[in-house]
Amino acid sequence: MNDEAVHRMPRRDPQAPRGRVLDAQLHVLDRQVLDRDGMPVTTVDDLEFDGIQLGVRIEPGSPAPTVAAILTRPQLPMRIFGGDSPASRRVRIPWKLVSGVGTTVRLGVAGESLDATWVERWVSRHIIGRIPGGRHDPE
Amino acid sequence: MILSDLLGSDALEADGRRVGGVVDVRLEISGAPAQLLAATVVTGVLVSPRSRVSTWGYERREETAPLLIARLQRWLHRGMFLVAWDDVELVDEHRVVFRDGYEQRDPMLPPAPRT
Repeated sequence: MNDEAVHRMPRRDPQAPRGRVLDAQLHVLDRQVLDRDGMPVTTVDDLEFDGIQLGVRIEPGSPAPTVAAILTRPQLPMRIFGGDSPASRRVRIPWKLVSGVGTTVRLGVAGESLDATWVERWVSRHIIGRIPGGRHDPE
Repeated sequence: MILSDLLGSDALEADGRRVGGVVDVRLEISGAPAQLLAATVVTGVLVSPRSRVSTWGYERREETAPLLIARLQRWLHRGMFLVAWDDVELVDEHRVVFRDGYEQRDPMLPPAPRT
């Protein structure tokens, strides 16, 4: 390739996005989280970032922070009793388990393997499952 | 640090002048490749000079329907701008401080990919 051809090549805008662009609150917060089989797991209550330290000056050229995890809360008690559970009851779903973000946030793992669903699993196994007819679909 | 600690924070210039509130955090799925999805990096913060919350994002998208709500939202968030993460100097409780000479950029989102 000669010099003239190089000059004619369009230069990449250094500020142009290199991947899918999302706004955290607009596109991720409050979205439903589905597992790899499309089963609802929870909703996104908050996001945890890696690489931001409160009150510490950010040196120019430092690596950008990354999304570390989805934060959520057990849904079942809220569905039964209403209200909101405290922040100390937050459950963390590592962002590395996310396989896609669209109308919903999709995970690449089964919901049963996550801490976010243990309350539902426990209630299903130990309470609902002991009620006659509680272990199969309605006929 | 979590997202809700950043949202609603005061956005300050290096000399302490308040220029608005942080209404959102811009992300890009463009980091190091991972097993399922590339790392999602923070590329900037969105600042609204007149509000601390943004609900539907009309001011960042081309959408115009329903017209009345779109116009109201654009008016409410007029003057919104994006500050690249490279221009952020400090994140502290309830405040984000920008570097001296930071740039106020266009907050518009690129068109969503067709699926």
